[in-house]
Amino acid sequence: MTMLSERQQLSYIAAQAADARLNVELETEGMTLNIGPQHPATHGTLRIIARLDGEQVIWAEPSAGYMHRGYEKLTEVRTFPQVTALINRIDWLGSFANEVPFILAAEQLMEIEAPPRAQHIRTILFELSRIANVSLFLGDLGVQMGAVTPVFMAFRDREYVLNLIEGATGGRFHPNFDRIGGLKDDLPKGWLDETRQVMKKLRNFCDEIEDLLFGNEIFQSRTRGIGVIPADVARQYGLSGANLRASGVDWDLRRDQKLPLAYDKVDFRVWTHPDGDSWARCWIRLQEVREATKIVDQLIETLPPGPVMTKVPRIIKVPEGEAWVSTENPLGEMGYYVVSKGGLGPFRVKIRSASFNNISITPWVLKGVYVPDIITILASLYFILGDIDR
Amino acid sequence: MAQLSDTGTSEETPVIDELRDEIVAKLRSDIGDAVIDVHQIPGVDLWVRVSADAWRAAGEALRAQGFDYFCFLSAMDWMPSPFGTGENDPTDEVEDDPSAAEVRQGYAGGETRFQMLARVTDLRRHVSITLKADVPESPDGSMSIASWISVYAGANWHERETHEMFGINFDGHPDLRNMYLPGDFEGYPLRKDFPLLARLVKPWPGIVDVEPMPASDDDEGDDS
Amino acid sequence: MGLVDRGRLPAPLTKLFNIGRSYSMWVYQWGLACCAIEMGAAFGSPRYDVMRLGVIPLPASPRQADLVVVSGTVTDKMAPAVKRLYEQMPEPKYVISMGSCANCGGPYWDSYSVTKGVDQIIPVDVYVPGCPPRPEALLEGVVLLQQRIKHEDMGARWRGEGFKPIKRDSEPIVVGGGPIE
Repeated sequence: MTMLSERQQLSYIAAQAADARLNVELETEGMTLNIGPQHPATHGTLRIIARLDGEQVIWAEPSAGYMHRGYEKLTEVRTFPQVTALINRIDWLGSFANEVPFILAAEQLMEIEAPPRAQHIRTILFELSRIANVSLFLGDLGVQMGAVTPVFMAFRDREYVLNLIEGATGGRFHPNFDRIGGLKDDLPKGWLDETRQVMKKLRNFCDEIEDLLFGNEIFQSRTRGIGVIPADVARQYGLSGANLRASGVDWDLRRDQKLPLAYDKVDFRVWTHPDGDSWARCWIRLQEVREATKIVDQLIETLPPGPVMTKVPRIIKVPEGEAWVSTENPLGEMGYYVVSKGGLGPFRVKIRSASFNNISITPWVLKGVYVPDIITILASLYFILGDIDR
Repeated sequence: MAQLSDTGTSEETPVIDELRDEIVAKLRSDIGDAVIDVHQIPGVDLWVRVSADAWRAAGEALRAQGFDYFCFLSAMDWMPSPFGTGENDPTDEVEDDPSAAEVRQGYAGGETRFQMLARVTDLRRHVSITLKADVPESPDGSMSIASWISVYAGANWHERETHEMFGINFDGHPDLRNMYLPGDFEGYPLRKDFPLLARLVKPWPGIVDVEPMPASDDDEGDDS
Repeated sequence: MGLVDRGRLPAPLTKLFNIGRSYSMWVYQWGLACCAIEMGAAFGSPRYDVMRLGVIPLPASPRQADLVVVSGTVTDKMAPAVKRLYEQMPEPKYVISMGSCANCGGPYWDSYSVTKGVDQIIPVDVYVPGCPPRPEALLEGVVLLQQRIKHEDMGARWRGEGFKPIKRDSEPIVVGGGPIE
C-alpha cells in the first residue's frame, strides 16, 4: 500500500541527486544507499536514504513515519488519566519521564500542586528513568562501533534499575504511576536501602564503560571531530538535552526553570563540552548518568514525610485554558502544550518531543561525512523512534 | 508556577512581570500593529497573537531579540469535534447545543478556525514566548502562511508535519512531502472533522470504572 | 532428504528431525517499538540467556532465520516491509507476535495509522500478550513454540499444507491463556 509513495520518493531522490551531483576530480557515478527501515544501527524503524559520491555522503535524509501512531489525535479522544497511560510509550526507555510534564501541565491548569513527598518521589523516579534510558545508550554505543561487550553490561546493570522502578510502581517498563495531584502509591518498604545499593552499582558501571569504551583508541578516533554541530546551528534546530550541552550551550531545564519538582533541593552539576562532536555528546551523557545517581542519592536522604496525593475530585475535569510545561527528559526537552476546554479530556495536546528536533538536524550534519560516520553520528545524537514519530 | 506555591502572603500585591512586558514592548516597536493581542500569566508564560501577514516578520523580530532557540511549530484547529470527545459515543447524535459547536479560541483570542502556534525560547534570559497567528481560509478551502525556514532552519520538519496534519501550506518551504503517512493517505488527521474510523465501528464503552484515589484511603503507608 | 521433499517421512524419523529443529532455532529480531527493548533483554541480556533454550538470536539476515519475533507496533507504512520480510524467510518458518500492538493494535486500537494486529499480514503461531510482555513471557512463548514444533508433521509443511500436528490438534498459542476463539 505504500509502493506508490516509495516510488515517488525515489524519483524525488534521483532528481535531488542529479542536482547535487558532484564531479570534482574524478568522474564517479553516484549511488543511493538505503539504510533501514529496520536496521540494527538505527534503534528502531528509522530509514535513511543517502546519496553517495564514492564514500562521501552528498545528501542524506531520514525518512520517518514507520512508527507514527497518531498520539496527538488519540489524546483528543481520551480522558486525562487515559492520556497518561498512552504517553508512557512515546520515549519507551524513559517512560516515567514522559508522564511528568503532562501531569504538571494539567496540574498547572487545575491550579493544584502535588505534596512535597510526591514531588520528591517524582524526581527520584524521573532520574531513575534517565539512568535506565541513558545506560542503554552507553551500551548500545559500543555495538554501533563494533564492540559487543558493553551492551551486555548495560543490560545487566539496567535490570537493577528496572527492578527498582518495578518495585515502586509495579511496571517494569511503563509505570503509569503519576496521577494528577500526586502519585498512585507511596514507596514500598526497604526500597530506599536497595536504591542506595543500586546507585553504587550504576556508578561502577559508569566507570567500567568509561574505561572500556571512552578510553578505547578506536572509539576515540571514530568520534572525535566527527559530526560537529556549532552552538548557533544547534539552537536554530532546537536541539536539546545532551546534544545542546555538547555544543557548549549551558542550558538545562532541571536547573533553569521553576517547576514543582525537587531539583532545587539538590546539588548537581550541569556538564557542558565545547567541542560539539560525537565524542562530546557521548561523554556528556556518561556524566549525566553519574549526576543522576548523585541526585537520587541526595533525594532519598532528604525524603520528606507526608501524603503522596493531594485532594482531587473523583472525576477529573480540567478548567479551560492553555498550558505549556516541558522538562529535561533523558533525550532532551520534552514538552506538552495542553489545551483544555473544561471537559474530561484535553481539547488538543501538542507533543514536543526531543528526538524530533534532534533528528531534524541530520540532513545538515550528515552532509559531507563518510558512510561509517553516519552510524556514529546517529548513535551519538541518540534518538528513540517513538519519540520522533509519536 | 510561582503563584501556585505561594503561601498566601503575596496574594494581595499584583504580580508585575517586567521581563515579559519588555518583550512585548520591543515586539510592538518592531512590527507595530501586527501584534493583535497579548495574553500574559505573570511569571509563568506569555502568548502573543500576530497577523498572518506578519508571521515571518514576527519570527525575525523575536530572533533578533534573542529568542534564538526554536522549540516547536504547529497549528490548532479550534472547531469542536463533530464526533464528540472521548467520553461520548461517536455514533450518538451530538446535542443541539449551539455553544458546543461554536468555534472558541483560547488565549490571545482569534478569528479563524485554524491558528498557527509556535514557541521560541531565549536561553540567556530564561524566557519563552508562544506565538499565534490566524490562518484565513481562501474561498477554495486552502490555507497558506509564510514559512519560517529562513528564520529558524529547524522549522523545516515542523512545517512538513503541520502541512500533513492540518493541510496548511507554507510559502517558501522547498519540500512539503508527507513526513509520517504514506503518500496516498487522504485527509488531514489532526483536523477535528477527521473521523477515527475504528471508533465509529466499535464505540468506546465510556467511563465504566474509576479507580479510587489513594488520598481517600486513611491508612497511608510510610516506609522511610 | 528426498523423503521430506516428497512429503513422506516415517514417524520416528519425523520425531527425530523435529527435536533437532526445535532446539536450533535461529530467531530474527524484528523489533519495532517498546517491546523491542524487552526482546533485547530476553535475547541479549545475561540475565535471561535465551541460548540455554536452544535458540540462536543473531542470524545475519531473515533468509537464514527459522523464527521471527514481531515485537511492537506495526503501522500501515511498515506493513509492506513486514510482509516482505516474512516472504524472504525460508520454509519452515514460524512467527511470534509479541506485545499487544502486534497482537491487535493494543492501546492504538483507534489510531488512523496503526495496523490492528500483525496477523492481518502474516500468519502467527504464538501470541505473547502484554504491554510490553516481560522477557520471561517471551521465553515462555518460545518454549511453547518448541513444544508445538515437536508435534508437527514435517511432510505436510513441505507439501504446502501449513501446520499439521501428528497427534493432538493445535491452535494458535496464547502465552498465559487457552486457545483463542
